[in-house]
Amino acid sequence: MAVETQTLSSCARAATAEEARYRIDRPIAPSRAGRVVALDPGAAEVLRRTAQQEWANARFYICEPAGSGAQDVVLRGIDGGPATLADELASASVVVMVATSDAGADCAYTLGKACWERGIQTAGLVVGDGTQAGTAASAAVAALRPHARVLLPSADEADVVDLLSALRV
Amino acid sequence: MLRQDINELLTRTGPGTPMGELFRQYWMPACLAEELPEDGAPPIRLKLLSERLVAFRDSYGRYGLIDEFCAHRGASMWFGRNEEGGLRCPYHGWKYDTTGQCIEVPSEADNSSFAENVRLTSYPLVKIGDVLWTYMGDPAKQPPLPEFEFALTPAEHHYTSKRWQQSNWLQAFEGGIDSSHVTFLHSGGLKSDPLFKGAKGNQYNLNDKKPFFEVADSDGGLFVGARRNAEEGSYYWRITPWVMPSFTMVPPRGDHPIHGHFWIPIDDENCWAYSFDYHPMRPLTEAERQAMIDGHGVHSKNIPGTYRPEANMDNDYLMNREKQRTGEWYSGVEGIAIQDSSLQESMGPIVDRTKERLVPADSGIIKARQKLYRAAVGLRDKGVTPPGVDPAHHHVRSAAVVLPQKEAFLDAARDDVTVRPGMPISSV
Ligand code: FES
Ligand SMILES: [Fe+2]
Repeated sequence: MAVETQTLSSCARAATAEEARYRIDRPIAPSRAGRVVALDPGAAEVLRRTAQQEWANARFYICEPAGSGAQDVVLRGIDGGPATLADELASASVVVMVATSDAGADCAYTLGKACWERGIQTAGLVVGDGTQAGTAASAAVAALRPHARVLLPSADEADVVDLLSALRV
Repeated sequence: MLRQDINELLTRTGPGTPMGELFRQYWMPACLAEELPEDGAPPIRLKLLSERLVAFRDSYGRYGLIDEFCAHRGASMWFGRNEEGGLRCPYHGWKYDTTGQCIEVPSEADNSSFAENVRLTSYPLVKIGDVLWTYMGDPAKQPPLPEFEFALTPAEHHYTSKRWQQSNWLQAFEGGIDSSHVTFLHSGGLKSDPLFKGAKGNQYNLNDKKPFFEVADSDGGLFVGARRNAEEGSYYWRITPWVMPSFTMVPPRGDHPIHGHFWIPIDDENCWAYSFDYHPMRPLTEAERQAMIDGHGVHSKNIPGTYRPEANMDNDYLMNREKQRTGEWYSGVEGIAIQDSSLQESMGPIVDRTKERLVPADSGIIKARQKLYRAAVGLRDKGVTPPGVDPAHHHVRSAAVVLPQKEAFLDAARDDVTVRPGMPISSV
């Protein structure tokens, strides 16, 4: 028989407001290197505004088709600076993709797949209405679906901010 | 994480608080009908949204929910004598009807009009299904009665229970839309619980522990879809509806009855978890009803004569480390309901959400908080009627369906998540 190491009432005491005061209170280090990627020009607008706020480690990018094949994409910093997909993903632990239209469907697919292969957690937000077939961003939703761990098909700009804050990026 | 000021706003529901005002826009469960089992039954004490009340059923069968304290010198009306057509305070004999109107003050002359001007605050109390519902807001804005399917099915088709949870309502409710904990915390129940086991869908659950999530707006709140791999080319979707402020349904399993919850604030550090089961197509079987009474499925085994679970914080939820080790009960605590309450209560009465580290899989919770916040602020600043007040928003069902991979879940399952009277639930 196992030795009883706790008093029977330990939960009752430990869960009080009184005891909550003793929760260790140290600053929480940002746990994620977040990369936030706009998949189309509308999304780039959203991220330009979002990037103005204070973020711990988040970096913001625009993704565009490379022109050659549908599978090729190029990444730029939101302020225009150069970036390479492989480098940025190498140091990322979560990638948040934002779309506003179907223009970025190819990018969504390529980026999602690249993250998937590297085991990087992904979230996709479609700002506008992508919930129903035939709406502005339904192809973007379909392209994000296979690889985004979480998909918000009818998000708005505040969702982008709320998600990034909740994730502490 | 969540900003402290938003956490405060979402968790405080007393009179005059923004979230308290939001709750006061809706009909919500006040108690179970079984608590006032017959005309003239003893009155019961209730605290709702930090207001102390007494509910009673008078000699004519009328229900009332009134201020707990007598208008004379403040004695509790819980001691009241439930007499002909009203509840009489046993201290000096003042008597009130179900609307809180004082109808007799014995010390006054027989022809005195004194009593006419004495009235206790009261709220409507209406029986629909197993539940007595109340509306604690502005009478001028009282919405039509609720139309949740579980309460509208014939009595033999449904069962409702409740349990006291010693935590703020929000952390309890958040468990109701947090589909990602099921595969861990409740994994034992998928194999053994009489109200869950044997469904084909359970195997999809157990085979794929990393579901993908989609969170979509609905008229009354959200649909949270969790998808897992099914057979080649298809996904198994479990769809959880949330109707604001705190109605959630659990996706069904096979032909078992379908179930869900209401999370109702008692005060800021306690809430009621209402749990219901129903089958739209048939009466519950004897065995099913007995299993619910015995605390299986989403229900709890309560201390007889109370709504406090037998396994509670005072006995460490009857933690069993041996069952935890074998995995029969993943956390070592028995039963879905107490598995949830034990962990939610362990967070402390109001969890400090500034310390959380959320992950993308928590997006349903993130989005729900945002909708609650917006609704509360929209109501406070602009008087906007929040989602979920309109009874049309109540016509939702959870669903468990296998869909082709290419389909968007709400496109393909719109009918499945909508109440269709006379049609079975969509469940594998
Ligand atoms: S793993 Fe979720 S609270 Fe601990
Ligand atoms: Fe749970």
